[in-house]
Amino acid sequence: MPKFTMQNTVERLDKPSSYAMSKYKKRRRNPAEEALRQTRGESPDLATKLSSACTLYIGNLSFYTTEEQIHELFSKCGSIKRLIMGLDRNLKTPCGFCFVEYYLPEDARDALKYVGGTKLDERVIRCDLDEGFVEGRQYGRGRSGGQVRDEYREEFDPGRGGFGRGRDQIGEEYGQGQ
Amino acid sequence: MADVDRRRDDRNGGAGFRGGRNDRRKRGREDDEYEHGNFRNQRARQEVPPGTRIRRVLVEAAEDVQGREPVDVKGALSNVGKLAAENWGDEYVREVFVAVALKVVAEQPLKIPFMAAAVLYANEYKSEAAAEVVAAATSQLQEALQDGAWRTVKLLLRFIACLSPLFEEDGIVPVLNELFDRAVDLQTASSEDAIGIELVKIILLTIPYLIAANDSNAIKEQVAELLEKTEIVATAPHSLDVLVNPYPAIGGDDESRPMAFGGVISLIQRQLQEETNKGWPLSCIPRAFDPVKREAEANGDTNGNEEHASSQKHAFPVVEVPSPVYANSGEVFPEAFFSLYADQDVESVPPTTHIACSLIRDAVVDTVNILDFNRNATSKYLNELDNFWTPGTFTRRETGFDRLKEYTGGVSTWKPEDVGIDALFSQIFKLPTPQHRLICYHSVITEVCKLAPQAIAPSLGRAIRFIYRSIDQLDLELQYRFMDWFAHHLSNFEFRWKWQEWIADIPLPEIHPRRAFINGALDKEIRLSFAKRIRETLPDPFQALVPASKEKDVPDFKYADDKMPYASEARALLKLLKEKASEEQIQAILDDVRDQATSHGVPDPLVPSTDVYMTCILNVGSKSMSHVISNIDRLKDKLSALATQSEAARRQIISSVVDFWSLHPGNAANIVDKLLNYTIITPMSVIEWALHERMDRGRALASAQMYELVSHTVAKVSARVRQVLQQRANTSLPFDQRQVIDAVLPRERQTLRDLYATIEDAVASVANGSQDEMMERYEGEEEERAIIMQWGERWARVWRRKAAVEEAVVGEAAVGELIEPEPVPEPEQEPVADMNDALDAFEAEAGAGGAMDIIDEVS
Repeated sequence: MPKFTMQNTVERLDKPSSYAMSKYKKRRRNPAEEALRQTRGESPDLATKLSSACTLYIGNLSFYTTEEQIHELFSKCGSIKRLIMGLDRNLKTPCGFCFVEYYLPEDARDALKYVGGTKLDERVIRCDLDEGFVEGRQYGRGRSGGQVRDEYREEFDPGRGGFGRGRDQIGEEYGQGQ
Repeated sequence: MADVDRRRDDRNGGAGFRGGRNDRRKRGREDDEYEHGNFRNQRARQEVPPGTRIRRVLVEAAEDVQGREPVDVKGALSNVGKLAAENWGDEYVREVFVAVALKVVAEQPLKIPFMAAAVLYANEYKSEAAAEVVAAATSQLQEALQDGAWRTVKLLLRFIACLSPLFEEDGIVPVLNELFDRAVDLQTASSEDAIGIELVKIILLTIPYLIAANDSNAIKEQVAELLEKTEIVATAPHSLDVLVNPYPAIGGDDESRPMAFGGVISLIQRQLQEETNKGWPLSCIPRAFDPVKREAEANGDTNGNEEHASSQKHAFPVVEVPSPVYANSGEVFPEAFFSLYADQDVESVPPTTHIACSLIRDAVVDTVNILDFNRNATSKYLNELDNFWTPGTFTRRETGFDRLKEYTGGVSTWKPEDVGIDALFSQIFKLPTPQHRLICYHSVITEVCKLAPQAIAPSLGRAIRFIYRSIDQLDLELQYRFMDWFAHHLSNFEFRWKWQEWIADIPLPEIHPRRAFINGALDKEIRLSFAKRIRETLPDPFQALVPASKEKDVPDFKYADDKMPYASEARALLKLLKEKASEEQIQAILDDVRDQATSHGVPDPLVPSTDVYMTCILNVGSKSMSHVISNIDRLKDKLSALATQSEAARRQIISSVVDFWSLHPGNAANIVDKLLNYTIITPMSVIEWALHERMDRGRALASAQMYELVSHTVAKVSARVRQVLQQRANTSLPFDQRQVIDAVLPRERQTLRDLYATIEDAVASVANGSQDEMMERYEGEEEERAIIMQWGERWARVWRRKAAVEEAVVGEAAVGELIEPEPVPEPEQEPVADMNDALDAFEAEAGAGGAMDIIDEVS
């Protein structure tokens, strides 16, 4: 058995979240992906890949939070290379998330440690390491054009368009299914 | 549970502290794997294996248990020592005990005495256990000494000092003596040495733990000798002290300063002297080890072996202090002691004459800096600070400040909250720079405040008042750090602050340091939020400071007014830009403006046309940062062409930006930053613009925006030079490429030096009142003149320090010559991807004088 090693005495906050890891694991379990892996060979695992990531996904923003506000906060962790606002696919208005790309991976990890879970525009924001922005990812993936989470949300959130937007619509569809 | 890499006997156990990330937990799917079957139920019935128990108890030593203060710390440690000893035959237990104890020593200095106690207990039952820990600790110490990892050296020495009951004779003292000899070598070699000072600090901070663990007369005598020797080094004033004083005396004497200056090591030396005189009570250091009573043992369930009769002693392993020591740790300046609460009427923190002051501060600061990767854990430990010191060292948590005044008769009045906050601020206010980004300390303060708002908020309030009261005497760089923290902190707590307290300062002139602070802080708040929201948080008299005009998202277009010269041309140009019209059409309008200006006799006709052009670009891009950046990106060639024609045009670009966004200085700063990246404007043009063109008889020095523009610009160039140095030292590059980089260095360095020289000239002339405009204008306005001269002095001090730091890092003396390394026969390696990019960047900017990489921006 390998020798017992201990990396840190307390958890590190600058790792990919369990959400990112679970999505990655899920994808790996996908048979199609597995077949690809057979042909292409093993790609480095997510944790390794993200250890040099310069991009962060920022979530739970208010729809009204501006690029300038985000820049003001996140530039405290280093020089920002670019900032991509998440937009509603249909309306092309901010829908509560963004990507912040730094020049250096250390800066991204600093932001994860020091900014993730603190407030911006009086909301507790969520930060996660990201593999890197790809055109198209700036749009919400929900049915209504915004983020999926806003469709299932039941509580009222004035910063994110009130009640869950897709609620009625989805309810109807379920109704039809019955 | 990812805090542990390998867990062999326990899937879900763990001593790891799970921070306030419940939002993530909910989302997580990781639990799903465990849910099928009766895994959870099975686990509940299992007894936790010894290795896991040991790990948990060690990592969580002395902490609160389920929100309550721990009841029996000694008992827990004694049990864990015994458990380890009894299972010493189990390889896993051995590995866990040694690895975890040393990891806690390295990461959680507050727990070092408790780790030592656990080892001492283990020794009572099984001397091999202690021997193995000592061997591992000393080998780590040896490694750290070799690498010059001084903080690790300090912590391991402390741990070994706490273990001194284990050792037969002098134990650690010879190592301390040797370290001192190295310190003397360094000190003799240079009067500006700071590593030697650091070594002396390590020695002095080890002594109390040594004596607390072993107060035999032999040890005390040796320590007395050592202290006599350190005296000379520790008490001699350092030649660089003046640069790190947070409250530099500006035309004032020591008495009127808010805080007396004290070098950290001279302070500890005096405190130890004081402790010697009192007979070394060292009352704050926890004594968590009591030799096990053998009678009790007989009743216990272990078989009382003969060797239990007396604690086993060990020989001290050989530790060699390298000579000379590795002396390149980046510590350029001696350390000044900073406290917001010490030596005031009510003793809410240990006085600077008391050794507890330095011991607690050092352990807390190290904890904060080491555990920067988990602010939740750090804030938990700060919140429970009293647990890690002798009971009674502090007053009860959450005791109100006013109640302290009633305490009499030797009861401690030290507030754990104040001690924690004091340590955090000491880092924010550390000169020249703290270990981590300032926001690291902001985030810990935020977290501490979230954990215990009632206890922390009043302490913070007193801290803010203390700093604000004498903000005019505070080092200027620190003042801006404070402003940044203040606004950022409030943004996490609904922007609540008792602004009423500062109402009396509103009528002060705008350039008064306190009034300037209020202005700057409000602007920072607005940047993180928005004007309307901030106005809501302010009492009436402050409303005027956030005018309604600030609520406009898009500033007025000044050429919309027909009274403006070139108004119609500007409007035509704006239309063309919106239509993305051709280059020729745009140029035609600019030419027209220039010709008109020439006929009006404007000295540099390029200035009005540049203003028209830049203002239109800003207007088109006024919707957001991305918009303006994509416009600048699209038109960068044209802008560059304009800017290279004259210095006046370059400065006009800056003027146009700052004036367009005059109500949102943050946007202006961002755009100037991007223009520098695109090398459309030069760093020197920003400095000249701020400190000459807009100096306004020195009044500019009171503006937070000017400070921001200047410091960001210089920081950019400085980062650039360091980048060059880094590539130059990059041994993975072929030597001829490094020579190319080496050839670039002098020019880059000169760019930086020129900036510092320009700043020095400009601000020094304000400081002594010889600035041209000041000479002309100042009759009868003595008060304003005095304030402005004070700003000049404060600026000068900051930039002289920065220049000195820079020289110490990038100057010829610090850098040395580029020497070709011995060729190492190595197998062909994949070229490093960034290598070519780095060189391309150097070639691309050749001639642009300290230019920055052009970056891709999102459109």
